[in-house]
Amino acid sequence: MLAVAKSNLMNHVSIKSNQCLAICPACGLLCDDVLVENNNNKIKVLTNGCAKSVAFFEQSSGNLSSKIAGEPVPLQQAITEAAHILKQAKSPLFSGLSTDVANFRAIYHLAQKTSGNLQHLNALSMTRNLAVLQSTGWQTTTLTEVKNRADVIVCIGTDIVKHNPRFFERFVWVENAMFTDANQRKIIYIGENIDTNPAISPLMKSPSLLACRAADLPEVTLVLRALVAGKRLKASLVAGIKVSDLQAVADKLKTAQYSVLTWVAKDLDFPHAELTIQNITETVAILNQTTRAAGLPLGGSDGDTSANNANTWLNSTTLNYEPFEHDCMVWLNSFNADKLPPTSDYPLIVFGNANSQLITPPAVFIPIATPGLDCNGTLFRVDSSVILPLKKLRKSDLPTLSEVVNKIEALLA
Amino acid sequence: MITLLKSGKLYDPAHNKDGIVQDIYIRDGCIISKPNHNEHIAHVYDLAGKIVMAGAIDMHSHIGGGKVNIARMMLPEFQETKGYGDPEAHICTPSCSHNATPSSTDTGFRYIEMGYTAAFEPAIMPINARQAHLEMGDTPMIDKGGYAMLGNDDYFLRLLAAKKDQTAINDYVAWILHATQAIGIKVVNPGGINAFKFNQRRLNLDENNVYYKVTPREILKSLSTAVHQLGIAKPLHVHCNNLGAAGNFETTLQTMSASDGVPMHLTHIQFHSYGTEGDKKFSSAAAQIAEALNKNKHITADVGQILFGQTVTASGDSMMQHLNAKHANPKKSVIMDVECDAGCGVVPFKYRDQNYVNALQWAIGLELFLSVNDPWRIFLTTDHPNGAPFTSYPHLIRLLMDKTFRNEAFAKLNLDAQAMSNLSSLNREYSLYEIAIMTRAGAAKLIGLDNCGHLGIGAQADITVYTEHADYEKMFAKPDYVFKNGELVVKNGTVTKVVWGTTHTTKPAFDINVEKDLSKYFDKYHTIQLDNFKISDDEITADGYSSLVKHESKARAN
Repeated sequence: MLAVAKSNLMNHVSIKSNQCLAICPACGLLCDDVLVENNNNKIKVLTNGCAKSVAFFEQSSGNLSSKIAGEPVPLQQAITEAAHILKQAKSPLFSGLSTDVANFRAIYHLAQKTSGNLQHLNALSMTRNLAVLQSTGWQTTTLTEVKNRADVIVCIGTDIVKHNPRFFERFVWVENAMFTDANQRKIIYIGENIDTNPAISPLMKSPSLLACRAADLPEVTLVLRALVAGKRLKASLVAGIKVSDLQAVADKLKTAQYSVLTWVAKDLDFPHAELTIQNITETVAILNQTTRAAGLPLGGSDGDTSANNANTWLNSTTLNYEPFEHDCMVWLNSFNADKLPPTSDYPLIVFGNANSQLITPPAVFIPIATPGLDCNGTLFRVDSSVILPLKKLRKSDLPTLSEVVNKIEALLA
Repeated sequence: MITLLKSGKLYDPAHNKDGIVQDIYIRDGCIISKPNHNEHIAHVYDLAGKIVMAGAIDMHSHIGGGKVNIARMMLPEFQETKGYGDPEAHICTPSCSHNATPSSTDTGFRYIEMGYTAAFEPAIMPINARQAHLEMGDTPMIDKGGYAMLGNDDYFLRLLAAKKDQTAINDYVAWILHATQAIGIKVVNPGGINAFKFNQRRLNLDENNVYYKVTPREILKSLSTAVHQLGIAKPLHVHCNNLGAAGNFETTLQTMSASDGVPMHLTHIQFHSYGTEGDKKFSSAAAQIAEALNKNKHITADVGQILFGQTVTASGDSMMQHLNAKHANPKKSVIMDVECDAGCGVVPFKYRDQNYVNALQWAIGLELFLSVNDPWRIFLTTDHPNGAPFTSYPHLIRLLMDKTFRNEAFAKLNLDAQAMSNLSSLNREYSLYEIAIMTRAGAAKLIGLDNCGHLGIGAQADITVYTEHADYEKMFAKPDYVFKNGELVVKNGTVTKVVWGTTHTTKPAFDINVEKDLSKYFDKYHTIQLDNFKISDDEITADGYSSLVKHESKARAN
């Protein structure tokens, strides 16, 4: 495996003074083994990168100037204008929220001061998971447990790698696992548009794929749950899948030492997807009556796990999706310049990645430092249990969001 | 600038002061001796007739970190979120709450309003310590600190299984204290959380973890010795095996001997004092536990009193919480295996006075309080939020101080439970002095906070002033004044100024070579770099208002 070779290599390569192991915020895995190099303030990924991390680390410093209605202005002028708009607004909506913990706290406090509401750009998919958490709860695990224990992994409605490119490399096909033979892990996919290649084992064993349309996952997961519960079905075919094949999956799960059932809420993009997730988590609950099993919600991007956690401890409420009435929109996006605000009839203030290309110039645009590149930061991994310190990798003249928000708050007082 | 607290009645057990009328002078956040005549006194508070105690210290309260936040996430129904523009919005936040899962902000406010000036998170999972500190960093008004959980982490169990010597264990324990910025070490269901991952469902004190072939007793011996030899003030914080199970008092009694006389603290011992007598096979073993506590001077305990109402239990004990999940109310729970480090279980509970088991749990807690003789070795906790939210402390204090009130409450309980408890025959009433020991002087001594929990010269000027009232619940719920580091921050039970407390830590010396083996382990089995596991001082103080205090530890020979 190329990936294993890479990490072996790492142990023998001495790191030069312009190199370091960086923590990548480009997806929920927060890989912290990405070797990067800084040449004349340009970052290059040397090892352990993926398409997402290369795009993140190698992005240019962008356009440093603040703008009002598309026209460059000094930062202070943009701050004054943003404060002016927020003062006028009765109920601003702070959206995007793609950032780290410290910046989220800053925007949270600004929202409190301006009677604003908060909505993360992943709110819809986050709400699918939160609905289950808040209805029945669940039994889950984290990535180091997966790496060392999982003997059966069922990926439901997702191939994971579209969201978390290094999942199999870092947590499945590993050289060392404490409690299981990693090479012998059994991988099962259920769903459509699945890239099964990353699940081919180092011994060249192919994964199982039970193909069905995403829209049929509610039915398929319900049948799997019933079979795991020991129920017998009259039907022999469910959504094009043989019930006997699902029975084989159920049997595999029941005899596994530590099975992991994983999903990515974003890929379950159909009405009432929370009920499908609940089928998965209740299957886990049944399995845990006799053996060990765990759910694993994956995906996670744009600091969604961080924003939701921080909002929860600051306010005791989660960042569920709600259609908020608003008369002004603030869009906050630190990490990925491609994520753009929705169109709005109301004044738009953007605290954005300096590479953001907005089609319509917003009322105010203030480029901000990107945590993990232009400044330090703190971010939650998708499994919520691991929190890592992002590092500043290059010189930057961009202000941090917290600095900008502090100045705005001073003007609001 | 000098502040004078004039003529208050001092309850200061660290200096044997039991209601002595005395003046207190404060300068630069500390209590000072009487200044010279020519020094200017800026503020005088006339406290004639008022009760004066040091700020209270909660030595065990789940105020920050993963499982607490999961509890908040899971229970939106707990929130009484007010509209942002609400005219009666509380000073603390526009959406303040008074329930079992307060936000970090509300946690600080609710504590200081009751005269508490410090609280300690007792179950910091090392891998999750950064989150615990982020949350505690967002908790205003009070000082904070935490105990790092060990004993179910695979690294430690590998050391133990490989029969590594005590020095190796000590180095690892010290390294964990540095890495997690903690002030103590806790073990939860020793070996059991780990065993649950191998599908073991219960683990007794002398039973092997199936994979590592080590017993809880060996884990307790090893960790208590490490804590003792490293010279950490706070004894090993022990959540015994078999939490909540009928008959678990035997495990608890046996656990007291597991450290061979080295100090240990048994936490929320109410949940570990259950017998199997009676028709329902669930009975009080408070008498046996209290007798053993009275005899075993090396053991301290906090009670973990339950009080009736809605709350949520948040524990590292995934093994026992998985068993308890069937009692969840509302019917939901979160159980997690975490990072080959530990686990967690969050199960909402509604304790009801007409439920036999709940009523007896209530009585057992009070029996323990009243039957343990030495208030320096028993502490007032509800294991917030597990037995009840910490905001119920004033009510609990009244139950301890007022026999009539207690017996009236007892008479309303499930009748079968009443028949199984000797509570009404216990005549003891705690004095103000004893309450001050349990909630101030004793807690400070236990954790090693030399400058807190007392009113002597040099003490941090965290001071609470009450008006004596026949209804002790009223008295303790609403102090006249609370001073934090010498500043007036609460007046008549309401916060008047927002301040930020410090984080207490201890960092015993260790051999840095411990990292050689640790980095091999991290490279092979972990999913983050060793360096990223460690929390730097800067991370805690970077927000500009948080600070750290490092308490000394003095290595002990044996």
